[in-house]
Amino acid sequence: MPSEHAALLKDSVTDFVTRGTDMARVRALRGDPQEYDRAVWRQMGELGWLGIAIPETYGGMGLGLTETAIVAEGLARALVPEPFTACAVLAAGALAASENEALKGDLLPAIASGSRVAALAWQEQAGALDAAHIALRATPFEGGYRLTGTKRYVTGAAGADVYLVAARSDAGLVLACLDRGASGISVDLEPLADGRHFGTITFEDAVVPRERVAASGSAALGALSRALDHATAIASAELYGVMSRALEMSVDYMKTRVQFGRPIGSFQALQHRAVDLYIQQQLAAAVLSEGLRELDEKPAPQKRAAIASRLKARCSDAGVRIGREAIQIHGAIGFTDEYDAGLYLKRALVLAAWLGNATQHRRRYAALALQAES
Amino acid sequence: MAAVPAIDYNAMRDEDFRHQVRSFFETNYPEQLRFLPRRVRMSEISGWWNTLYEKGWIAPNWPHEWGGMGLEAGKMVIFLEEMERHGIARPADQGITQVGPIIMKYGTQAQKDHYLPRTRSGEIIWCQGYSEPNAGSDLANLQTSAVIEGDVFIVNGQKIWTTLAHDSTHIYLLVRTDKEAKKQKGISFLLVDLQTSGITIRPIRNIAGHEEFCEVFFDDVRVPRDVLVGKMNEGWTVAKALLGFERLNIGSPRRPQYALMRLEMLARAKGLFADTGFLDRFIAIKLDLEDLAALYGRYVEQVKRGEPLGQDVSSLKIWAMEAWQRLTELLVEAGAEDGVIEGAHDIAGVEIDFLSPFYYARPATIYGGSSEIQRNILSKYVLELPS
Repeated sequence: MPSEHAALLKDSVTDFVTRGTDMARVRALRGDPQEYDRAVWRQMGELGWLGIAIPETYGGMGLGLTETAIVAEGLARALVPEPFTACAVLAAGALAASENEALKGDLLPAIASGSRVAALAWQEQAGALDAAHIALRATPFEGGYRLTGTKRYVTGAAGADVYLVAARSDAGLVLACLDRGASGISVDLEPLADGRHFGTITFEDAVVPRERVAASGSAALGALSRALDHATAIASAELYGVMSRALEMSVDYMKTRVQFGRPIGSFQALQHRAVDLYIQQQLAAAVLSEGLRELDEKPAPQKRAAIASRLKARCSDAGVRIGREAIQIHGAIGFTDEYDAGLYLKRALVLAAWLGNATQHRRRYAALALQAES
Repeated sequence: MAAVPAIDYNAMRDEDFRHQVRSFFETNYPEQLRFLPRRVRMSEISGWWNTLYEKGWIAPNWPHEWGGMGLEAGKMVIFLEEMERHGIARPADQGITQVGPIIMKYGTQAQKDHYLPRTRSGEIIWCQGYSEPNAGSDLANLQTSAVIEGDVFIVNGQKIWTTLAHDSTHIYLLVRTDKEAKKQKGISFLLVDLQTSGITIRPIRNIAGHEEFCEVFFDDVRVPRDVLVGKMNEGWTVAKALLGFERLNIGSPRRPQYALMRLEMLARAKGLFADTGFLDRFIAIKLDLEDLAALYGRYVEQVKRGEPLGQDVSSLKIWAMEAWQRLTELLVEAGAEDGVIEGAHDIAGVEIDFLSPFYYARPATIYGGSSEIQRNILSKYVLELPS
């Protein structure tokens, strides 16, 4: 019963964000190359969240995106910096959809428990939404592949123990697993607006033994595309959490801040501004619940991509707009580093850009929708 | 009263009911009246009224007792969705949608027996006399007065923006019956025959060139006291008793579908999708409308569960109407010079009328509570911001 899980998950996330994290911790981890706290990560593993999308046979909970979104939204509301979506949805999802059973049996339970952290290195160009542009070479040799090339915009790269890398061989796409410390790998971190990092990972003849190849050919493409669409949907749920909290903060502030002898929330110019943000949040909520339900019915890849794009387009625009307007509604205090509104705007900015921004996703949606109709 | 068999539509499976409604509409509704980008006149639509009346479907929201279909909210939503889907024009149906249910709730037995059967048959056609020159968004400021003299009310004043008054036989009025009372308190609800002496109706031409709304003048109009609905000075409460799905229907995502389809056909014919600037705007609006459908769907589910709609449904009206307007604006722009030529014409093999949908969408953010009033409602009741 999804609703039963939903209620339990909601309670446990609420409990966690009230007792297991706070803004002081979020601020302390800003700019820290480690990005997050291993103890907190293990706690998230114990709660089952890191294995939420991993099948039960591999030590996970095997729940759908609707449930996964509850966790993502709740964590995002509190700006929890641990890379839940990047690891538990994107990397674990790609691996879970792969074909190497032995590798899955080895890694997935460790990811689910929180003892090993995985990151997916797939992207090479800014604005790419799918595997078409991937050029990192996988050159076959007797015992496996050698990888050469550079991956960019890898989320959760800093603290990952293992990288799942999408490479291209003459026979098609290859999804390969490499340990963080393997020879031929170097990682550079680029600081992000929200205090986290994108990793740039360079591979120089890095060796992947055959048994560490998760999938190849159409299986690799299928696993990667599915994981990207799912992570795009869950990033949208994160945006929803961020926008909801930012809107609450703004509306609360409007009720208490007094100027000209009245609360500023009594001014119609601000009221209508707040209402327009509320409408965007309501649309995002409606689109999310509809889209996640449709994704949980396992649609064909084209339909799945269109749904993911629709969610990301609405939630990115709504999230950034509400974040931006939160600054305006708060006035000068909103522009200070000390006040939390800025943290929400920055998180929204990064989430909106990650895995494709609103314009890019609307264009992909257009290509899919207009093609389907003609 | 026509003998209407009391079919229990609510017992039907949703898809069976939808199929039955759809095929009846497709078979019987006049093709030339589909997707009219203006209000339909009674002279054009009276045949369809009769068709629905004969079928027993003219009052889907009314109970069997009064010859209605007795539809529950879920079935009602389907009925309205199918109307929108087929592009069926709404005649001057305020007797069915508004004053009928109000009479059922607040009217005397004599009022019910007199007005309800005639309203259903189309013998009585109603128009709504609420707005006045100085009472638009601030409706409670209305000044048209009714004074009791013996066994009559004497009505004096002016109503305006009265849609299709010139097609109507009767008007339901909000009038001031207590000048001392504050605003909403001294208002009463009257049912007035437009043939009564002292009433003058003057149509007003709108920017689309159509005469859809009117001014109605009352000059010492004497009407019997039994035209009062509900108690004296409690007309505001009577008028507010609107049905939930009526508020829902105004946000129906199907209304803009026809204009969207036309725009898409035009864009293909003219190769506009190769222009990224156009494509970005088109797809943003298409998604605005699809996301509207998701929002609408949430409220439909709420209505089907039997829950009353809250004030937050105002967000549906704002978004539906504003997205519809954006669509019609892009349609005109896509037409370039052709977009400002009046009437329907052929562009690259597509028959299209650019301006009518644009005009038709203009008042959508004004009637039924302007977008600004809706935002005030959301601000006050949903965000609970101070006043």
